Amino acid sequence: MMCERCQEEAVVHLAELVDGRRRERHLCAACARDAGLILPDTPLDLGIDEALQDLIKKHVGELVGELAESFCPDCRLRYMDFRTGGRLGCPHDYQVFGAGLTPMLQRFHGATRHVGKRARSRPGASLRLRLRSQLRQAVAREDYEEAARLRDQIRLKDQHA
Amino acid sequence: MTLDDLTRTSGEWLRGTGPESDIVMCSRIRLARNLADFPFTNRASRSEKAGIESQVKSAIDSAGLEVSYFDVNSMSNLDRQFLVERQIISRELAGGEGPRGVAVTPKENISIMVNEEDHLRIQYMLSGFRLHEVWDEINALDDQLEDDIAYAYSSSLGYLTACPTNVGTGIRVGVMLHLPGIVANKQIDKVFRALQKINLAVRGLYGEGSQAFGDFYQISNQQTLGKSEEEIIKMLTDVVPQVLQFERSARQDLITGRRQHLHDQVSRAYGILKTAQTISSEETMLLLSSVRMGINLGLIDDLAISTVNELFIQTQPAFLQKLRGSELGVEERNVARASYLRSRLSNGRPVEDD
Repeated sequence: MMCERCQEEAVVHLAELVDGRRRERHLCAACARDAGLILPDTPLDLGIDEALQDLIKKHVGELVGELAESFCPDCRLRYMDFRTGGRLGCPHDYQVFGAGLTPMLQRFHGATRHVGKRARSRPGASLRLRLRSQLRQAVAREDYEEAARLRDQIRLKDQHA
Repeated sequence: MTLDDLTRTSGEWLRGTGPESDIVMCSRIRLARNLADFPFTNRASRSEKAGIESQVKSAIDSAGLEVSYFDVNSMSNLDRQFLVERQIISRELAGGEGPRGVAVTPKENISIMVNEEDHLRIQYMLSGFRLHEVWDEINALDDQLEDDIAYAYSSSLGYLTACPTNVGTGIRVGVMLHLPGIVANKQIDKVFRALQKINLAVRGLYGEGSQAFGDFYQISNQQTLGKSEEEIIKMLTDVVPQVLQFERSARQDLITGRRQHLHDQVSRAYGILKTAQTISSEETMLLLSSVRMGINLGLIDDLAISTVNELFIQTQPAFLQKLRGSELGVEERNVARASYLRSRLSNGRPVEDD
C-alpha cells in the first residue's frame, strides 16, 4: 500500500476514532515521523522495562512512598526491582521491605505469621551473609587487600559454623 | 549411577502400587530452603553459586544419602530435557545458568535441586496416595541436611524463600491424579473451580503452564504461610478422596452406560499402540490414558499398570533420543516411539534398528 502523502511504501497503518467515526491512515516512515506519529530515528527500542517500571512507580510509588526507592544494603536489590521481577535478593530483604511485603503476604497467604516446623538457630549465619556482601563490594571497587581480609574472616566463620 | 543408567530403570513413583494407585499416580512433597549466608540464587554471583553448590553437596555427603549428583550446568540440553521429563528437575533449573545441579537416589524417590529459584528444592515422591509417609521421610531428610546447613529462617516468617509465595513452611504438597473419567464426562472444569476456591492449584503433569497431558493433573497447595505442614497435608488428604470418588463414579457411569463402546475404545487404543509404525507424542498420551483406565476397569488383563505408567515418561522426546544415542527430528522420533511401544507391549515383532 502507498503512503497517502507521497509515493513511498506505507509502513505505518493507523486506525483511529474521530468523532465516533473510524478513520484509517497509511503513511511511510518519513511522513509518519513528520506527522509526529513515530519518534525514534534510531532502531525501535521500546524500552518496555523502563516504561513498565515508570508505570509501576507511578502507581505503587504513591502508595508506598520511600519504600519504592529503598534498597537492601546487603544484596543491593531495590524494592522496585522486586516489584517488577517478583523475586527477592537475599534473606535480609524480608526485613528491609517488610512494610511492602506484609500486605502482600496477607493477600496471598491470608496470614503473616509462620506456623509449623522451626529451623535450628544459627546466630553466625547472618553475619556471614553480611561479610559476603562486603566482600562483593570490595571486589567491585578492586580493593583486593580488603577482599582477602574478608575472605579469611568468612573462612574462619565457616569453620566454626 | 550415570544418566545413561537411568534409561534402563524407572522411578519408584511409576510402580503403580500404594493406596488408590488406580487414580493417584504419586504423592509428592517439596521443600524450598535457602542458605542463610548467601544471597538468593537470582542475585548470587557465579562464585557464590559455586560456594552454595559445594556446601550443599557436602551436606548431602555427610547425610550419608545414596545419591548421584548431576552437574546440570555442564550437561547437554538433551540431558537436561531428559531429567525434566523424568520429573527429576524443573524446567527452571534446566533453563537456568551458572553452577547448579541435582542429587538423585537410584529409585528416584528423592531429588535435591541446587540453585533453582531457591538454593535447595528438596523433593520426595512415592507411588500411590501416601502423603503422611512422604512427609515423614522428607522431614527427616530436611533435618539431616540441616546438620550441615544454616537455613535462612525467621521466627515470624519461617523459612525465607526467593519468592514470597513460598515463604513460611516452604512446602508444596501435591498428588498426581489420572482423571480420564472426569475428563470424559466434561466435569473437569467444575472440579478445578471447586479446588481453586479452596486455594488448591491444579496443574498439568509438567507443572506450571504445562498442558494437561494424558489426563494427568497435579493438585497442590498454594499457600505456605500461616498453616503448619500437617494442616496443609490434611487439606489434601481431606479433599483428594472426594475427587477420587468423583472419578470412580464417572468411570462407573462409563462402564455401565456404554460398556461395549468403552471396551471397544480401550481395545482400539491398545491395538494402535501395539502395532503403529509411526506415532506422535500427543496421540500416544491420549491412547495410553485410555489403556490405563482400561486396565483399572478390568477391560485389559495382559498388561501391567507399571508398564503403562513408565511409557508415559519413556515415550517423551528426550528419552527416545537418549535410547537411540542421537538427536532425532520429529518424524524420526515418531518412528522411534512406535518402535519402542511395539517392543514394550511385546507384539511379538523384534525391534528393528533401522
